[in-house]
Amino acid sequence: MNAKLRDLIITNFLAVFLGLLASGILLLFIDINPLTVFGAALKIILTDKYTMGDVFLKATPLIFTALAFAFTFKANLFNIGAQGQFYMGAIVAVAVSLQLQGVVSQPVLLIIVCLATFAGGGLIGGLIGFLKARFNANEFLVSMMSTYVMAALMNYLLRTFLKEAKGEYPQTDSITRTAWIPTLLKGTRLHVGFILAVLVAIGIWILLYKTPLGYRIRAVGSNASAAEMSGIQSKKIYIIAFFISGALAGMAGFTEVNGVQHMLIQDFNTGIGASGIGIAILANANPIGIIFASILFGGLSVMGNLMGRMPGVNVPSSLIDLMQGFVMLFVIISYFFRTYLENRREKLKLQKGVK
Amino acid sequence: MLISLLARALTMSTPLLFGSLSEVIAERSGVMVTAIEGIFLIGAWGGFVGTYVSGSYTIGMIVAMISGIIVAAIYGIVAIFMKQHQVVTGTALNILVAGFCTYFQRVLFGVPTSPLKITPLPKLPIPLLSDIPVLGPIFFQQNILTYIVYLVIPISYFVLYKTSLGLTIRSTGENPEAVDVAGINVNKVRFSVVLFAGLMGGLAGAFYSVGYLGMFSANIIGGRGWIAFAICFLGNWHPIGAVIGTLIFGFTEAIAIYMQSIGGGGYFPNELFIALPYILTIVLTVSRKTFNVPAQLGISYSKEG
Repeated sequence: MNAKLRDLIITNFLAVFLGLLASGILLLFIDINPLTVFGAALKIILTDKYTMGDVFLKATPLIFTALAFAFTFKANLFNIGAQGQFYMGAIVAVAVSLQLQGVVSQPVLLIIVCLATFAGGGLIGGLIGFLKARFNANEFLVSMMSTYVMAALMNYLLRTFLKEAKGEYPQTDSITRTAWIPTLLKGTRLHVGFILAVLVAIGIWILLYKTPLGYRIRAVGSNASAAEMSGIQSKKIYIIAFFISGALAGMAGFTEVNGVQHMLIQDFNTGIGASGIGIAILANANPIGIIFASILFGGLSVMGNLMGRMPGVNVPSSLIDLMQGFVMLFVIISYFFRTYLENRREKLKLQKGVK
Repeated sequence: MLISLLARALTMSTPLLFGSLSEVIAERSGVMVTAIEGIFLIGAWGGFVGTYVSGSYTIGMIVAMISGIIVAAIYGIVAIFMKQHQVVTGTALNILVAGFCTYFQRVLFGVPTSPLKITPLPKLPIPLLSDIPVLGPIFFQQNILTYIVYLVIPISYFVLYKTSLGLTIRSTGENPEAVDVAGINVNKVRFSVVLFAGLMGGLAGAFYSVGYLGMFSANIIGGRGWIAFAICFLGNWHPIGAVIGTLIFGFTEAIAIYMQSIGGGGYFPNELFIALPYILTIVLTVSRKTFNVPAQLGISYSKEG
């Protein structure tokens, strides 16, 4: 194994460990022995099939939102608005499903909904890319603000056009079973969407590293003016990169509505955009790495939920955010140490050469 | 009606001014304080807890400032001294702070049956000045934090443009090598302004919890840190630009609150007014043409060799 990869694996493991350690220490404040609850939660995850399935279930939308951040990151653009594009995907998913359920067959419906969420999220993303390309608008700010606008739009629709037939709560009707994404494993909630997410991640890797378009995106990312000189229209790349990024986030709406919740409610999965950014950082924006990092974050979130439900102990569910935040912070710090280790290695190599 | 609307606009501008002015100063030295949303949030939480537990506004404000500085210090160590990506570091800290505040709110107070309340900072009418017609009720019947902001505006302008400290800060953002050659530690300058932004951001957060609502909730800031961040860009990295930008936002927010209170006049949904400040940010970001970006913004500094 080469030294670089070894450093990467060791430092990342250390970062995750330190992240868990830090959140464990905070558990001491509420008189909970972190070792007991962590151990008990881990044991349930590893032995209970249903819970294990949930780890991958939680990882599914995170793969999409992490890919969304990573994709524009490769073009040196920032899409901080995956949450908003996910909301758009969720709105489209529930609206199309409610319209088409019972009208067309299940496979046809799922394909249509999937494509519609792709287009819906892509539309929002593409719009941000267009504003960047046409008006040189700061994409970081625009995408950031778009999330709040989309949240308001979703709340409005839930209160009006999409409101349940009973008219009691600001939420939609449930979609019928014919619009559900089929389950992958019997006895779990895990659905085929996970496979879709993994395939999409592999597809994004191929797109970025094995196609001319991917090359252009990365060229714009490493040096936009040099790319422009060699005939790459960077403005076009902005729009394309943002469209694909938004579309990926939109697909998380498909897997969450049709695969898990089967309806749309207020404050729907508020954290997956931010977690996606954390996962992309953890994986160094590598699409294949994102699959594994998402499973880790999925595991953290299931673990947090388990601890919150354990009889006798009362762990606040916000521990999940704490764990994820600490892990992210330590991963960022580990980048620093990796660079340091690598520089030292280069130096030693040079010194040896002199002798 | 107009007078109360303008007074409300000024009230709502106060925290954004703390945030955007300190962001301007920080960014002129070359660092974006992307942890601003988290700094606002921890300030809101620290201010609330400090006031609730001690019963003293002063202690609440001090706790808010200290907690803002702590988050800013972590941000500064990672982003400036360890030279990690500023946007990425800020995002991680914002998530961490959100979890931290919710967690410790629960640890300290459990799940109360009714939301914990404190009396918001009282309005302090300034004698004589508050009796001036029109201007008095708008400018001089505010709470103490707004009066502090009146002082912070000219001071930040003066320091940035008329003192050698300000020159150092601005040069650090434009030409750090020159500052380094002059024997000044570039990263120390940047770290100091980030700590200052932490202090101001902490106060801004406390404004929402202690100064205005008298309570704390996890979504109390709701992106207003980011709006202050945006105002810094839109105000062209200039204190006066930031003040103008903030007043526009404060006015928008005042109108939004008013329209919500009268039910949108029956024509417009409330959600439109909730989204208004964010829509305004997008519109202004798009329409802004000339930018005077500090040359080294977001780029960490290392000595050659």
